[in-house]
Amino acid sequence: MAALVVPALLLVLLMMVAPMALLFRYSLNIYSATDLMIEAVTLQNYVAAVADPYYREVLATTLRTAFLATVIALAAGFPAAYVLARMQGRWKSILTLITVFPLMVGNVVRAAGWMALLGNTGVVNTALKAVGIGSVQLMYTPGAVVAGIVTVVLPYMILTLAAVIEGIPRNVEEAALNMGAGPLTMFRRVILPLSLPGVIAGSALVFILCMNAYATPVLLGGSRFKMMAPAVYDQFVRTTNWPFGAALAFILLLVTLGLTMAGSALLQRRYAR
Amino acid sequence: MAKARTFLWRGGVGAVFTVVLLPMLAVMYLSFFDQEVVSFPPDGYTLRWYVNAWEQREFSRGFVNSLQLAVVATVIGVTLGTAAAYALVRARLPARGFVNTLLMGPLAVPGVVLGTALYVMFVQIDDAIDFQIVATLPGLIAAHVLLTVPWTVRLVAASLAGLHPAAEEAAADLGARPWTVFRRVTLPMMRSGVVAGALFSFIQSFENLELTLLLVGPGRSTLPVAMLNYLEFRVDPTLAAVATVQIVMIGALMLITDRFVNLSRVVS
Repeated sequence: MAALVVPALLLVLLMMVAPMALLFRYSLNIYSATDLMIEAVTLQNYVAAVADPYYREVLATTLRTAFLATVIALAAGFPAAYVLARMQGRWKSILTLITVFPLMVGNVVRAAGWMALLGNTGVVNTALKAVGIGSVQLMYTPGAVVAGIVTVVLPYMILTLAAVIEGIPRNVEEAALNMGAGPLTMFRRVILPLSLPGVIAGSALVFILCMNAYATPVLLGGSRFKMMAPAVYDQFVRTTNWPFGAALAFILLLVTLGLTMAGSALLQRRYAR
Repeated sequence: MAKARTFLWRGGVGAVFTVVLLPMLAVMYLSFFDQEVVSFPPDGYTLRWYVNAWEQREFSRGFVNSLQLAVVATVIGVTLGTAAAYALVRARLPARGFVNTLLMGPLAVPGVVLGTALYVMFVQIDDAIDFQIVATLPGLIAAHVLLTVPWTVRLVAASLAGLHPAAEEAAADLGARPWTVFRRVTLPMMRSGVVAGALFSFIQSFENLELTLLLVGPGRSTLPVAMLNYLEFRVDPTLAAVATVQIVMIGALMLITDRFVNLSRVVS
């Protein structure tokens, strides 16, 4: 019976573990314009990527966007998650469906929606003109990318937080309120510490998704706004420098993983009392 | 005062859910505009962009390609995933936690990185034994099966975990062969998990962009790749019509899935 797991396991080993190992191996090779690659074991691609001001800026842009989007998603997602968690019956399943649905529709469709909203003759600019502010360039700005990414990741944040908040018994809230705490104090001293695992899990998940965003920055950010995932892709499609592209991919993976773990540990220590 | 606060609170929460839905509503609205250039308010409303979209080869071919790909990947992925989930829950596996982590791996590795890694491996295989995988349908199917396995494993394992193996043991004791036990007892018990796994797998494969980008052949784009290429130049009602078709189709599948499993438990 244990053999039933073998086909799926083989697939993951052949199609995920093996190619990732290969990509890592190539990141240690040396690029050659004539032979594509020269076998070597060197870190020079990583050093070159970190030293190059262009890629440093790409990484910085990616980090700024991901941090900002994660913070906004957490702030906006928490109240929504609280309401969803405390809801009951029919409305709860309807609201859950509304939250899950956008996740399944795909990023390209949602980016298209933002393009229609934010374009120079789009809804937002028409409204601004109507109230006399005039047309503002919204598309192809960092703000458009952040708005787009936040809507992409918000459902993940809401669902993760709601799952944890559901587990907090109502009567601890009531106890705090009965003993004279205001709603804000109750939130800060009771709900927030108890929902910390959800805050950590949700922020980590959302941060990872933001760091790896592809369609949203490409479509809403324009050609001058570069994030890491499109940069990795370009490296394989527009140039043939595989070792450098592989190094970029692993820098993205390592930075994301490192910051996610450090952030979780920090949050945990801060509230572990 | 208290009333004003409740009003603000409700309004704020309502706004969050609205913003999440907003881009999709905008795209659906745009698909009915009577003029080609996006400007508000519209001159009038029409359905002709839906016809126009279907007449554009890149979209009709992309739709058919995505449909084929998603169906084949789902059939293979659900078979592999269901078998794996069954073993994971019922068999005494060595290193079960590790195996589970591996099977969930495709969800954790970023799409563009995994797509790149697969592209590199396929090209190398091509070079080494002269067997083309890059830009072929089998290569793309294999990649998409990888996407469907974790969802199926997760959903089927969840539906199996709550069920007692006593029914299967009883059937075996009464003389049913293993295959009969599986077909007549086990499979009906985990039906909801398998159906939900299949629907989720289909959706994941149909809307996937990142893993697909590097692996599609020229002229064989899937629908999301065709939409991305089009959107790099402009957004117009034709594209909006294509997007609306995808929104409606996935919405219908979600409603069906919702009848089989509790959706809030699936994603988080």
